[in-house]
Amino acid sequence: MLDQNIAREVLQEAVRTGGDFAEIFVEDRIDNTMMMRSGRLETANTGRLHGAGVRVFSGTNAVYVHTNDTSREGLMACARQAAAAVKAGGKGCIVAPFKAWDAARPEEIQLLPTDVKAAVKAEKLRAAEAAARAVSPEVVQVVANYLDHVQNVCICNTEGVFVTDQRVRTRMSVAAVASNGTENQTGGDNPGASMGFEIFDALIDPEKVGENAAKQAITMLHAPVCPAGFMPVVIDNGFGGVIFHEACGHSLEATSVSIGVSEFAGKLGQQIASPCVTAIDDGTIVNQWGMLHVDDEGTPTQRTVLVENGILTNYMIDRLGSRRMGMPITGSSRRQSYAFAPTSRMRSTFIAPGKDNEAEMIATMGDGLYAKKMGGGSVNPATGEFNFAVNEGYLVKDGKIVHPVRGASLIGRGSEVLMKIDRVGSNLALAQGMCGSMSGSVPTDVGQPMIRVSGLTVGGR
Amino acid sequence: MDMNMFIDRVLEAAMAAGIDTAEVYCQTGENFRASAMDGEINQYQVSTSAGLSLRGTVAGKMGYSATQAFDEAAIRQLIEGVKESAALVEANEQDEIFAGDEAYPEIPKAESDLKNVTPEQKLALCLAMERAAKEADPRIWKVQRAMVMTGANTIRIKNSYGLDLSDSGSVCMAYAAPIAKEGDKTVTGGHMVAGSQFAALNAEAIGKKAVEETVCQLGGKSVPGGEYRIIMRNDAMQSLLSTFAGVFSAENAQQKMSLLDGKEGTVIASEAVTLMDDPLLPGGFGTQRFDSEGSASITKAIIDKGVLTTLLHNRKTARKQGVKSTANASRANYTAPVRVAPTNFFFKPGEKDLAGLMADVGNGLVVTDLAGLHSGANPTSGDFSLLAKGYTIEDGQRGHAVEQITVAGNFYEVLKAVVAVGSDLEFPGDSIGSPSVDIGTLKVSG
Repeated sequence: MLDQNIAREVLQEAVRTGGDFAEIFVEDRIDNTMMMRSGRLETANTGRLHGAGVRVFSGTNAVYVHTNDTSREGLMACARQAAAAVKAGGKGCIVAPFKAWDAARPEEIQLLPTDVKAAVKAEKLRAAEAAARAVSPEVVQVVANYLDHVQNVCICNTEGVFVTDQRVRTRMSVAAVASNGTENQTGGDNPGASMGFEIFDALIDPEKVGENAAKQAITMLHAPVCPAGFMPVVIDNGFGGVIFHEACGHSLEATSVSIGVSEFAGKLGQQIASPCVTAIDDGTIVNQWGMLHVDDEGTPTQRTVLVENGILTNYMIDRLGSRRMGMPITGSSRRQSYAFAPTSRMRSTFIAPGKDNEAEMIATMGDGLYAKKMGGGSVNPATGEFNFAVNEGYLVKDGKIVHPVRGASLIGRGSEVLMKIDRVGSNLALAQGMCGSMSGSVPTDVGQPMIRVSGLTVGGR
Repeated sequence: MDMNMFIDRVLEAAMAAGIDTAEVYCQTGENFRASAMDGEINQYQVSTSAGLSLRGTVAGKMGYSATQAFDEAAIRQLIEGVKESAALVEANEQDEIFAGDEAYPEIPKAESDLKNVTPEQKLALCLAMERAAKEADPRIWKVQRAMVMTGANTIRIKNSYGLDLSDSGSVCMAYAAPIAKEGDKTVTGGHMVAGSQFAALNAEAIGKKAVEETVCQLGGKSVPGGEYRIIMRNDAMQSLLSTFAGVFSAENAQQKMSLLDGKEGTVIASEAVTLMDDPLLPGGFGTQRFDSEGSASITKAIIDKGVLTTLLHNRKTARKQGVKSTANASRANYTAPVRVAPTNFFFKPGEKDLAGLMADVGNGLVVTDLAGLHSGANPTSGDFSLLAKGYTIEDGQRGHAVEQITVAGNFYEVLKAVVAVGSDLEFPGDSIGSPSVDIGTLKVSG
């Protein structure tokens, strides 16, 4: 993808005005998306993303220039523009000899999606769509999406990194709408993995995905609105892990920690969560949606323990964050594409399994909310204020699940909610999502076993 | 190869390859972004980008393909992609390529001063904004972003009927986001100004306003749960309207994703509500002479004094309903298929400013910020349950700051419950805008 001689020349040019580090990221990516609605394949698109970015550091200041033109001239133009913006003075760093290697692991992928005919992919959507419609006549619309991508990258820098990698991901998502004529409710299911088309043998049963989406929509159509108030909340495994992702994860990214803005900045070694909470951000789980071989700065990924028995042990740290914080990088610097400068991001982030019994958790909670399926959320890392949606919730009275409720949301402050987790079950499961932040939208997993929070503000009507 | 030549080569090759009608949609741009922190420029990003997609019909069915590489191999890939995708799609209602309207509106446009602005001037603005924010109030602990973004982008549509349209625009945006601390309390806020003229960005004014929006939240507390009379300030109402704008799309209605299917001509909102879609608004962020299918832009009321007059249409949804396109065909970017989206979309302003609305309400809450709109609001059901900030209204006057509450309701019900629409229409760097709106009562959880 990138000639080493050209790379050396471009890096040298980039640090000409005194930069002390430079990096090139080249990307060539084929995206394939298909959408089926009302039982008909409406779109089947292939797109090719192609471009490169040159990044230069001078101390803790960073300049990033990107382009579609990956020819020698295009890259040199980027380097010149970046150098002009740096103007640090001095000679700039020396480009170290490259240690070239290939991080791709083709053995992890059985069937590259680019080798599968589109008609075969469409059949998976058809199966999911039909299964969703079959659930009930109240299902008035089903939208089934399929996507895969094969991303080839080359990342090199003035410290001698020169690595190529191939990232392959496949995902299916089904959204169902149930209606009684005057009201609509929705349900969804979105499994995915760092796998090729073999995902449909190993992991995804399209009919099950369709059914899950439709059943959730039907359940919510017949659910009364959730009451508002402050109450204990049990959050189930899988996508329930979004609570840690929002309440804590984003605030542990160097993006906010390194500039002192996060509510968890300066708290290493301190207790920030209840002692039953251990939380991990892991890029090494083979075939997992959020896995990496090397991150988008070319650093081999790793498993990072963030919180151990309630004590803050580490952050997620990229190269720039590492310079600001004086701490080692954690191989979790990511970007949506070459059009974004990379920064510290989550990979597969989860609360580790505990020892508590799931049935006991609900039986002893009194009156509260059981959040079976969570939706997305967001957080303000500076204040820790988070919010997220409950896609499928149930009202609990006197330790017994009474009936489903819709339209609930949960709000709070990260530092407070983590201390209020009083049960952690053992049934760990991960779920897939797309996480948006400064460096764009990247695939991440959230996860946890079932947990209980002793009190949360529940938004409802 | 040169972009003009590439476009012509693609269309020629498409015809030669047996594609019946074909259209190229091309987006090119130059973007700049920089941000200051602690008196230094800590982020600086520059890009030039170009992307092109080809769509074409084969045996009456439309296929799509896109590229960012512009060589001979890319031409082959585009044509194969279109043919493969057209062979696969099964939709009954097909997109079509449009030969064009007879005339296109001319919209008065001020020449942007952006091309005479140097990067140094942009960096100076970042630094000045940060300084202004820091000096405005001793409680400002840090400015987490003092950012300037500029962009110049061009769209071109050229098709096998001979239609050849292009439009370009420039945008200059400045944003400051301070953090204030008092005791153990931290609050964040921000202010953004955007327009086509760089000279209109005033560092002092943006910094000061951002600080005002931040420090006013200090001392904020929750309120007891219950029913409250709510005024959505213009920016909060704008974010709610943006989130639910899709319910006015004829495509969503026809696909049962919106409850407005078949509701044209009926009352769907209070008489106080008139909702406009105006692509001809001079200087608007959604101002355009033509839509993504090449239809000439037209101004229309979507809701007129409470009555739904029309949904937003592209050519496909209009044909399905036997009406004329409202010129709301939209492509989110060059790779995206043709969908439906509003242009400059806003509630028509009423008589009273925010203070006047507050005086009429007497006691209640002004909501100034809604968080979690991408997850806590469901555009299909209309339900929302959102983290909110604002302040109390006590005897018509501003009371104390409010935080850590949720407001919950349903967008369709909110439209019907609107008591009054304010006069303070704003477009916060966006094509969707709103004045402040008195939306009646909502359930609040605190």
